Amino acid sequence: MINIEIDGKHIESESGSTIIQAAHSAGIAIPHFCYHKKLSIAANCRMCLVQVEKAPKPLPACATPVSEGMKVFTVSEQAVKAQKGVMEFLLINHPLDCPICDQGGECQLQDLAVGYGGVASRYAEAKRVVTHKDIGPLVSAEEMSRCINCTRCVRFGQEIAGVMELGQAFRGEHAEIMSFVSSTVDSELSGNMIDLCPVGALTSKPFRYSARAWELSRRRSISPHDSLGSNLAVQVKGNQVMRVLPVENEAINECWLSDRDRFSYTALNVPERLTKPMIKQGGKWQEVEWQTALEYISHGLRDIAKRGGAEQIGALATPNSTLEEMYLLQKLLRGLGSNNVDFRLRQSDFSADGKQAGAPWLGMAVADINQADRFLLVGSFLRKDHPLLASRIRQAVKRGAQANVLHSTDDDLLMAVANKSIVAPSAMVSVLAQILQALATEKKARLDGAVQALVQAGSPSAEAVAIAKNLAGGQHPAILLGNFAQQHPQAAQLQLLAQHIAALCNAKFGFMGEAANSLGGHLAQAVPFAGGKAGMNATAMLAAPRKAYLLLNVEAELDTHNPQQALAAMYAADMVVAMSAYKHFASDYADVMLPIAPFTETSGTFVNTEGRVQSFNGTVKPLGEARPAWKVLRVLGNMLNVEGFDHDSSEAVRDEALGGMDVSSKLNNTLGGTEVRGLGTEQAPAHHSAPGPQSSALSGLQRVADVPIYSSDAMVRRAPPLQATHDALPPSAAMHGDELAKLGLKPGDMVKASQGEGSVRLSVVLDNRLPRGVVRVAAGHALTAKMGAMFGTISVERA
Amino acid sequence: MEKISKFIKTFLLLELLRGMSVTLRNMFSRNITVHFPEEKTPQSHRFRGLHAQRRYPNGEERCIGCKLCEAVCPALAINIEVAEREDGTRRTTRYDIDLTKCIFCGFCEEACPVDAIVETRIFEYHGENCGDLYYTKQMLLAVGDKHEVQIAKDRAADAKYR
Repeated sequence: MINIEIDGKHIESESGSTIIQAAHSAGIAIPHFCYHKKLSIAANCRMCLVQVEKAPKPLPACATPVSEGMKVFTVSEQAVKAQKGVMEFLLINHPLDCPICDQGGECQLQDLAVGYGGVASRYAEAKRVVTHKDIGPLVSAEEMSRCINCTRCVRFGQEIAGVMELGQAFRGEHAEIMSFVSSTVDSELSGNMIDLCPVGALTSKPFRYSARAWELSRRRSISPHDSLGSNLAVQVKGNQVMRVLPVENEAINECWLSDRDRFSYTALNVPERLTKPMIKQGGKWQEVEWQTALEYISHGLRDIAKRGGAEQIGALATPNSTLEEMYLLQKLLRGLGSNNVDFRLRQSDFSADGKQAGAPWLGMAVADINQADRFLLVGSFLRKDHPLLASRIRQAVKRGAQANVLHSTDDDLLMAVANKSIVAPSAMVSVLAQILQALATEKKARLDGAVQALVQAGSPSAEAVAIAKNLAGGQHPAILLGNFAQQHPQAAQLQLLAQHIAALCNAKFGFMGEAANSLGGHLAQAVPFAGGKAGMNATAMLAAPRKAYLLLNVEAELDTHNPQQALAAMYAADMVVAMSAYKHFASDYADVMLPIAPFTETSGTFVNTEGRVQSFNGTVKPLGEARPAWKVLRVLGNMLNVEGFDHDSSEAVRDEALGGMDVSSKLNNTLGGTEVRGLGTEQAPAHHSAPGPQSSALSGLQRVADVPIYSSDAMVRRAPPLQATHDALPPSAAMHGDELAKLGLKPGDMVKASQGEGSVRLSVVLDNRLPRGVVRVAAGHALTAKMGAMFGTISVERA
Repeated sequence: MEKISKFIKTFLLLELLRGMSVTLRNMFSRNITVHFPEEKTPQSHRFRGLHAQRRYPNGEERCIGCKLCEAVCPALAINIEVAEREDGTRRTTRYDIDLTKCIFCGFCEEACPVDAIVETRIFEYHGENCGDLYYTKQMLLAVGDKHEVQIAKDRAADAKYR
């Protein structure tokens, strides 16, 4: 600890910290623009100049380390004169038309100019003009003349987002911030530049000119998209959500927010919002009263239960539904006598059901990622599925941790990857087993019978050995299974192997949950194996069509593992009740559509992937006649005479669902009662085969399906600015060059990709980073909704 | 003694005469009653009457939708919605003043950075129906267009005090 004095106040500060950090920790404000606690120090705005005893000239507080006995004066005559001088220079080229600037009212330059600026400008010459730039649909760079060249956005790109998409070109007075020639800012974290920009140079494009900061009331909420549970401030004017900003929470999202969380609000008031209950009569949709719709449903369900038994009823919810909604849905189903309820719509391997010691979770606190020094990331489209977890891992890697990747695609993670093994989906289990084998050899450990036999079967590949060696060398390794691993047809095997690997290298092991409430769904018991006799899981329910389906937020063709199967089941059903915030394709197969409220219009709870229970309130009134889904389910429960449906608040539902439960005791990834199976036959097919003769069709390829970041749930699929981004381009068929050569295709050609009975025309993309023998075709998009399962064989022919 | 003098004064009608003298004086003094509406009182160029929205000489509306008037209005009488116009400028899509709420404090014109919203000398206006005094952007611009000459003169007269 170092003793310093700032403005006569005695302060103890850590060695190595800077004057501005010491001052801020003591509650002394020093004006600044370029300094940001999460970014590196640039010291280029010079606004934080302070007087330091014995220093001949004022020093920048952000870049001057504290030293013992230092005496700092932040408001002395010399300091204030320096600060005022800097402000005058900054304002020379900054336009003085705050009233038309979108940042007006929340601008650091405006605020500080009140304190340090002159009454009038002494500068009479021409001001610098910087041309506006188009850097994409999310961030507006229309007013680059306002830029004060603090380079926060540039440093954010380099340090947090991992990719330098904005840079400073030219020198001196000509310096300007720009993207690389005619390219847009495509980072999934780009919206944070808006928050970082201390002036109105980078502003939010969807929010542009729509409201002023002082008109908005700020209401807390929780992100309904990824499983991190980012804390949001939903800003509301009247009864409309105007924008979403992050709320700082060091344990979760720090001060960042992914673009998906930040801009999904734009889907709240789109014309596709469902605002009245509707019933299909004689093939035509008719708007009806709630009472009529609910009576229709309860009659229908009773009828079906009477005729075919309650097992003929199935319920599916998306993992973005709140804890309360899922709890009441499963309670309703179980009250009716059916255990067919599931929220794991994109999962295909349910063999771990009931064998796992608790609910699958991250295996550590989110903040613990900072401490890990080795990562094994298994089957994760990390950046797109978990943008902020990816950022945390990136920070850890920057501090010296090493990341290892086992996956079927080799997308750029924008971080240094120590070792990677990119194999076809079918080979993932085998490679993970090889890693286990190599690790056992490395650690000279003796494994249990079956596992030992398995890992002795062959010799591990060089990649597997490298990954194992890397993991063995760490003090705090972390093994994380991503969405792809959870959706994998051998997910349980992957889990079991990862568990053994974790045990061998003393690693933390967990799942990066698929969506906002993937963990909450387990706690709400919205799984078929939770109570009494096991019901049908999501896949089984669709494979053997039920007579009635209750869909909560689900778009059957976009949210499920196998859209063909899901749609067939929907068409075969006698009654489909779609509870949704939007009018969607359910209008084709459903019988009743109930308008329910999205997350801003309902209260509820999300349990994030580290087991943090976060409740939120509604921020605005539901649009039209939409109602919170928990209320709808509650009334439906009453109408069906199911016991225990008399909650009068979502808190009451939550308390019943969690029942004073110690959530942390329910989290356990340990999988028991399952054996690792032989893996001899599951080698990567055609892994090193040379390009064969050209043919018109290729069959036996494996599909690799990602769910693109802006296709992940009903809300983001309808957010216009997000859909205009590069990440939301229509799905394509990406293949390795060798596969393209076999078909004689070149990038941009159209192919017919067929799976099951369906086929779609897709354009071809060359991706030599993909393993051979696979085609990458995204799921969750209307274009590929006619295809089959997310994993499995696919054939491609020239169209 | 006092009683006696009061008794005598009663017969002399002194109070009456004193009162009548005031009447007599005023009969010959200048008349201060204004015969409204035939006659009107002089107005200051700072008079705060009906609001108007001004335009630049080229016909472009002055208002840039900064919302400062809405923020400063103590009676919450102003209601503004802003959007980006096709040419990329910030413009109001809605600018309403509820004159029944307005207290004519003049803060809006003080706050306006471009002298777009002003209060004119007009004070003789009325509404016959509920809502007639809810002035929209078009109505305010029409007032401004009609009285621009006077408005400009008043601003010019006040400019040296600002």
